[in-house]
Amino acid sequence: MIVPRPYNLIAELTYRCPLRCAYCSNPLDYAGVREGLDAKEWARVFRQAAELGVLHVGLTGGEPCVREDLAEIVAAAAEAELYIHLVTAGTHLDADGLDALVDAGLRSVQLSLQDVEPEPADRLAGGAFFERKLAFAAWVRARDLPLTLNVVLHRGNLERTRDAVELAARLGAHRVELANVQLHGWALRNREALLPGRAQLEAASQAVREARRDHPKLQIVFVLPDHFSDRPKPCMGGWGRKNAVVAPDGLVLPCHGARALPLEFWSAREHAFGVCWSDAPGMNAYRGETWMRDPCRTCPERERDFGGCRCQAFALAGDAAEADPACALAPAHDVVLAARRRADAAGEAPGLVYRGDR
Amino acid sequence: MSQGRAAFEARLQDVLERRYHDKHPFNLRMHQGLLSREEIQTWVRQRYYYQTRIPLKDSVILTKSGDPAFRREWVQRIHDHDGRAPGEGGLEKWLRLAETVGLDRGDVESLAGVLPAVRDACDDYVRLVEERDLLEAVASSLTEMGAHRIMRVRLAAFEKHYPWVDEEGLAYFRSRVSQAARDSEWGLAWVLENAATGEEQDRCVAALEKKCEILWRLLDAVELAHRKPRIASAAQLRNDPKDGALTAVLPERAVRLNESGREILEACDGERTADAVARELAARHPEVPGVEPDVHTFLGEMERLGVVESRR
Ligand code: SF4
Ligand code: SF4
Repeated sequence: MIVPRPYNLIAELTYRCPLRCAYCSNPLDYAGVREGLDAKEWARVFRQAAELGVLHVGLTGGEPCVREDLAEIVAAAAEAELYIHLVTAGTHLDADGLDALVDAGLRSVQLSLQDVEPEPADRLAGGAFFERKLAFAAWVRARDLPLTLNVVLHRGNLERTRDAVELAARLGAHRVELANVQLHGWALRNREALLPGRAQLEAASQAVREARRDHPKLQIVFVLPDHFSDRPKPCMGGWGRKNAVVAPDGLVLPCHGARALPLEFWSAREHAFGVCWSDAPGMNAYRGETWMRDPCRTCPERERDFGGCRCQAFALAGDAAEADPACALAPAHDVVLAARRRADAAGEAPGLVYRGDR
Repeated sequence: MSQGRAAFEARLQDVLERRYHDKHPFNLRMHQGLLSREEIQTWVRQRYYYQTRIPLKDSVILTKSGDPAFRREWVQRIHDHDGRAPGEGGLEKWLRLAETVGLDRGDVESLAGVLPAVRDACDDYVRLVEERDLLEAVASSLTEMGAHRIMRVRLAAFEKHYPWVDEEGLAYFRSRVSQAARDSEWGLAWVLENAATGEEQDRCVAALEKKCEILWRLLDAVELAHRKPRIASAAQLRNDPKDGALTAVLPERAVRLNESGREILEACDGERTADAVARELAARHPEVPGVEPDVHTFLGEMERLGVVESRR
């Protein structure tokens, strides 16, 4: 098999986080994952990734800013000539801390907001964070870094889609990602409470259309949640194809969720990054198309969506080699249709299970 | 239902009131004396393309009428533009204007530097006239009603603010004051006479709006040519670690560039205008046709992707 060149590295520096989002994409057993790589090891990973062709690193977590050696890690990524993008909840860093990262070579920031109003945002995040986040956004813009605002949309806040765009515009963001909650990690546990109904989604889509008209310069990303679109997303741009995730313990993965699959991945602590990327059995399990079954095997859309998300197939169909159940052609599409029906039936949403309080 | 003549005429006047390009920021600045010499040059050079399309669209209009009286009147416009002998007419006067503002006549005539957006706008005008019937085609030329007004303002502004443009250069504007007044009077009367039904009147109004939009787009493009592009602060320019290709890395994407892309971006220092960059590149590669429009297209695309940002 020809191993593709990775372009983007997602460095999960830690699973620690002061927040407790009920849709967190970290694994359910995140607390059991050791934080393995120190700054020197990250430096080696960055160097090896850059040699393989990686251009871009997203520093994420958990909350990457809880690491006291973050500036050192940023400097190491800059040394490897990577474009450095920080994905943060914006609660942990003060202006001086941000300056230190900029001096070390930070280029751009994605700030996650749990909502666009303080009260529900703080309830979901589990603390009085909202005002701090807005202050952080202002510091980012004052330093002329491009700012992406990421707001996870769900049943409880979809009404405020338009407000999210207005807030992004006010904060001077160049891009706003209105991310509909996806069915993995903690979100799967909370799907009854999080999944929106069709009427709600249609209203939000309309709000996005109007917002696009009123803010032509702002990039507005809005994707329908899987349980309401009939085709899957091209998850991670294909398994082991363009994006590599390195977990806090050094495991090299094709996506955030893949460690939940019964596959063997290798750790960058034990092998060179390139070896983990190209040779680990788990990385090759769903590369290319040879693993595909019907209907994906012969489907003309497989070059676009790569059969969708393997983790979702595993979680919902019980087998990662199945077509993503989000696809209307998938044998297990029923599961998604059932979720759609439940979401459509108006009823009290059950309470959320927050990350951490299992 | 058709409206009375007066009401119909008022609607046409209203379109000009709202949409005619005398209200475009570029024209406002021109008339306030705020344009640089370079901006005047760009405008003259780009607008020449529009001038060259006028006799073409008037020829198309001629083919649409079976009425000798109409054609006798309308053909006058072609004579006004092309002259009755070499060295005469509106096009020639415009080239004189080009010379007096410091442009190279041959360069302007060659159309080598026409901005893609200017070309699109002007070609849209000719296409509009081709595709619509005689009534709409004539209605679309009623911007002449605004033209004689704008020419007066312009003449005064040039005399006051741009004294380096000499009398010979202003001859075009001077001749258009009376021509446009006469043409628009005739054209308006003809449209009022021939748009009998409400539906026809609506089409005339729409055609005039469309024409206003075309003139507006032309000035948008001229303005845009004076933005000062530079590498966006968000972009990291580097050589690809695998094959050395120049690559602009951004928060969400990486854009690979070829050798000409590299050369263009290197010229974008945030001081020079897009127009100046395009001209410099064209001067550097006289053997390559179409450099200038290509540079503008490329810069537009880079700006859309976020590789380049501009200030005015
Ligand atoms: S989703 Fe919420 S809880 Fe999970 S890492 Fe991000 S901020 Fe922390
Ligand atoms: S059948 Fe497979 S490849 Fe085809 S659209 Fe569905 S998931 Fe994609």
